[in-house]
Amino acid sequence: MKTWKIAALSTLAVGVLVSGCGTTGSTSSSNTASNTSSTSGNATTSSSASGKTIGFAVSTLNNPFFVAMQNGVQSEAKKDGLKVTVENGNNDAATQLNQVQDLIQQHVSAILLNPVDSNSLSSAVKLANQANIPVITLDRSVNFGKVATFIASDSVEAGKEAADQLIKALGGKGQVVELQGTIGASSEIDREKGFDQEIATAPGIKVVAKQTANFDRNTALNVMQNILQAHPDINGVFAQNDEMALGALKAIQQSGKKGIDIVGIDGEQEAITDVNNGLIYADIAQQPTQEGILGVDNAVKLINGQSVPKTVSSPLQLVTKGSSFKGF
Amino acid sequence: MGKLMMRGISKSFSGVRVLEEVELIVEGGKVVALLGENGAGKSTLMKILTGEYQADAGEIVIDDQVVDIKNVDDAKKHQIGMIHQELNLFPNLSIAENFLIGNEAEYQQSGFIRSSKLNDKVKSILQQVNLQRHPSELVKNLGIGEQQLVEIGKALLQDVKYLVMDEPTAALTESETERLFQIIESLKKNGVGIVYISHRMEELYRIADKVSVLRDGRFIATRDMKTADENELVSMMVGRTVDDRYPKTPSNPGQVLLKAVDVKTPKVKRATLEVRAGEIVGLGGLMGAGRTELVSAFAGVDRIVEGEFEFNGKRTRFKTPKQAIDSGLAFVTEDRKSQGLILPFSVRENMALPTLGLRSRFGFIQSRQERDFTSEVVNKMRIKVASIDQPAGSLSGGNQQKIVIGKWMAQDPVLLILDEPTRGIDVGAKQEIYELMNAFKSQGRGILMISSDLPELMGICDRIYVMHEGEVMGEIKGEEMNNENFMKLATGRKLS
Amino acid sequence: MNVIKKYRLGPLIGLVLIFIVMSILSNQFLTFSNLRNVALQTTVNALLGVGMTFVILTSGIDLSVGSTLALSAVISSGLMVAHVNVFLACIVGIVVGAAGGALNGLLVSYGRLAPFIVTLGTQQLFRGLTEVYTHGMPIFNLPNSFSNLGTGLIAGIPIPVVIAAVVFIVGWIVLKKTVVGRKIYALGGNEKVAQLAGVKVNRYLVWVYVVAGVLAAFAGLILTSRLGTAEPTAGTGYELDAITAVVLGGTSLVGGEGSIIGTLVGALILGVIDNGLNLLNVNSFWQDAVKGLIILVAILLDRKKN
Repeated sequence: MKTWKIAALSTLAVGVLVSGCGTTGSTSSSNTASNTSSTSGNATTSSSASGKTIGFAVSTLNNPFFVAMQNGVQSEAKKDGLKVTVENGNNDAATQLNQVQDLIQQHVSAILLNPVDSNSLSSAVKLANQANIPVITLDRSVNFGKVATFIASDSVEAGKEAADQLIKALGGKGQVVELQGTIGASSEIDREKGFDQEIATAPGIKVVAKQTANFDRNTALNVMQNILQAHPDINGVFAQNDEMALGALKAIQQSGKKGIDIVGIDGEQEAITDVNNGLIYADIAQQPTQEGILGVDNAVKLINGQSVPKTVSSPLQLVTKGSSFKGF
Repeated sequence: MGKLMMRGISKSFSGVRVLEEVELIVEGGKVVALLGENGAGKSTLMKILTGEYQADAGEIVIDDQVVDIKNVDDAKKHQIGMIHQELNLFPNLSIAENFLIGNEAEYQQSGFIRSSKLNDKVKSILQQVNLQRHPSELVKNLGIGEQQLVEIGKALLQDVKYLVMDEPTAALTESETERLFQIIESLKKNGVGIVYISHRMEELYRIADKVSVLRDGRFIATRDMKTADENELVSMMVGRTVDDRYPKTPSNPGQVLLKAVDVKTPKVKRATLEVRAGEIVGLGGLMGAGRTELVSAFAGVDRIVEGEFEFNGKRTRFKTPKQAIDSGLAFVTEDRKSQGLILPFSVRENMALPTLGLRSRFGFIQSRQERDFTSEVVNKMRIKVASIDQPAGSLSGGNQQKIVIGKWMAQDPVLLILDEPTRGIDVGAKQEIYELMNAFKSQGRGILMISSDLPELMGICDRIYVMHEGEVMGEIKGEEMNNENFMKLATGRKLS
Repeated sequence: MNVIKKYRLGPLIGLVLIFIVMSILSNQFLTFSNLRNVALQTTVNALLGVGMTFVILTSGIDLSVGSTLALSAVISSGLMVAHVNVFLACIVGIVVGAAGGALNGLLVSYGRLAPFIVTLGTQQLFRGLTEVYTHGMPIFNLPNSFSNLGTGLIAGIPIPVVIAAVVFIVGWIVLKKTVVGRKIYALGGNEKVAQLAGVKVNRYLVWVYVVAGVLAAFAGLILTSRLGTAEPTAGTGYELDAITAVVLGGTSLVGGEGSIIGTLVGALILGVIDNGLNLLNVNSFWQDAVKGLIILVAILLDRKKN
């Protein structure tokens, strides 16, 4: 009785949910404003694509980011007269592999894949390759298998941009804190890389604490509270996602401290509201809705036999007080 | 023939001497009985012999060679085996798999179990112990007696020269015991030396050649069993003279407390019996005759399907144990460790459990009352405890049993059902339990008692009902109360 | 030595050791404001831990508390955003928690199913219902009066800490001083014996899971009011923290043995570790390893003493 309980518990402990909106390290230099614009492509009225079904395998719908991506996919598909089969992988690679197999079984015309994990889902992509169904990866890609195009925003770039905003806010001088995402997640690695490189160019700014809060708001609240205890004189906070930025904001508000500038990444609606209210200094917004739209547009091109670029950068959007961006 | 000697064995546990210069001689082809009350040090001595404990002083000599037994494997090497009183079986494994554990080397090849070889061997051993079960049956589906036979079979598998048997018949029926004695005879013929621990004197006279007595960790004496006097042996064990092993008091039957007419339960075919105030009524039969099942239905643990049941003058059927308790029927279950006590609970918490409601106010336990109550019962029943806050699991079997009986008697029931109340406890504690039962009876209350110990049943009970295969076959009392009549009923025949 | 054994002081000694080490390493640690932070940050796990203690004492387990927390939090918040009276919305959330617990309890007791399996199932079920209700989106713009619950102070002490303290005291009294508590211990110590002694086993089992559910709802409300936002992912994995706190506190997973004070100590150990690692700015790569190590040492300390 006792032993199975313990064994089962430890198994459970392994399955910790990893959230955060990650992109793999495609360091393709094509920057924010490249190949494709945000308006939908020119294949909109193509009769050959209309009426076909595409599959959308999303890693999780437990996160506003991916919900927005789903909305982008569905609205664009509707416009193009496509049907979409959505499969929610619940952050489980095995589940998602099965779902992709199901999509292949249904002979969908193209698969939009937002993989749970870059390695495990490679085999799913290979299966689709064998069945001659084109695969477009969104936000994260896979390590093996043939991917028609990979659509994501550039995380290193996002980190750099965040550092620039913080430097600007502090006038190049002060103490800052970095809240890391889930250690080992590609988005955490890349955002940190971009931020650290860029912040080093401002000799007057010192990173006094670097702690993980797992991309989680409640964790960030507690971690920030503790950091404020140890470093009461900080001037700025870089949070690797908006959830943590919002948690840090609460901690700062509850501590009664003023004049600490926060920069976040993602473009979550709640964070954007706080930017406009002057509570958060700036947000580097990803546009998951755009990623979804771009995914469908490229799928349509593929169905129509047109060529598509290897990678498409989904645009990043800098949001500061007064900008019109609404968030997702 | 070989000879094993333990000489000058001493052992202490955290400063407390449990064995002091004890000696024991086991001869090949002979049975030596080891007698002593619980706590006398028998088990510790045997655990030293089988390598579970290490002696602080003394030596073990086999055939004039001093041997070093540091662990269970060493004991195995010297062909010393033991059948434990507590069954050491894996209930979820089959009989064959239970045989396999500990003997893997012989029945495997490159890590795979050689099933056919194992099964053949197991079959032959099951035949030897007369257990008609297939090797693939799960141990949990066997009765306790049958499990004991599996345990004996395991020892036979190991080809031992010296074998320790700790209360092997405690759970066996008459016929299973008979079979065990035959096994012992054949082991003796093969030159195996046996140490036999039992509290049942009659058995010892039948099979033992010598008897050694321990008391309080000291060696008292060794006698030839044939010529040893029973009363002398008991006196040596308890350190005082004991006149009467079964003190029966005259019965004075009053009103009918429990009456069952043609009662049927999911497991009992038909039972008619009654228990009156002021008497102790026995319920006997072979293992599996349905005794426990019948009284469980009386006490609301199982249910009565058909028939008439009256308790304390009222027709009723108890649907839950609580209803039975509230009506004045207390049921002391057979297996005190799994059904009678909460081992990690203290003596006080165990004792108070069925009567918590009486000693509470607005749902709060009145701890002062609880302590007073427990102390009172502990004193009255002469339960030996260091403190009433001591965990029940740390007490000896006899004292545990007294707590179980005490907690139910303290409820003031009119009828007490006791299922094997003296199994596995020593002579002294048995006596005290008999006295408690007699005192209960003299207060004008009734007892219905199950026991597999026939002399005890006849010695204590005023009347005995006998069951056979789920049916109450009849009743013996007074002059009719003898082994022959009992066995007739227990095997399904009628009294002439 | 005997005193340590008798009163199971092992976990407490572990906590004190961690306290001493932390005070030496960080001059910020032993300040009123920091200790207040630790207390505040521990409340959620502590509340879940109290419920978990009740369940584990009956030799059960409740893996669904994290999901129950989220479900009741989003439902309460949803009602508040829809301008339902804050107090009423909180009550509804607590009722949701109780109902979730009752479902667990009924399946475990009358359904005769293993608690592990039942609550593994309801963990998914409640999380799923949370996602359905929120469409995966956080609920924010909660009324200020509600946020005061999480951020306000009573005599300098945060309200959540006061609530948790009251829950602990009540839990301690119930388990140690009342008939109900004794019967819960008995049930976990040996269900058969308890049943024969007239304990209504099934009814008690349902109640302990209801307690766990209600306290999960409490924890959910506190978490939500601290953040000002109800997130559908809230409480993910919290059941494991709660179980860790209970076990650290010396309660046996087999049931029948343990105490609520132990759970408080266990929860505080976890809280102090998290706080300390942040104060000392321990490298994120090392944090999980250090935390695991400290937990193992604390458990070893307990076993050795006993």
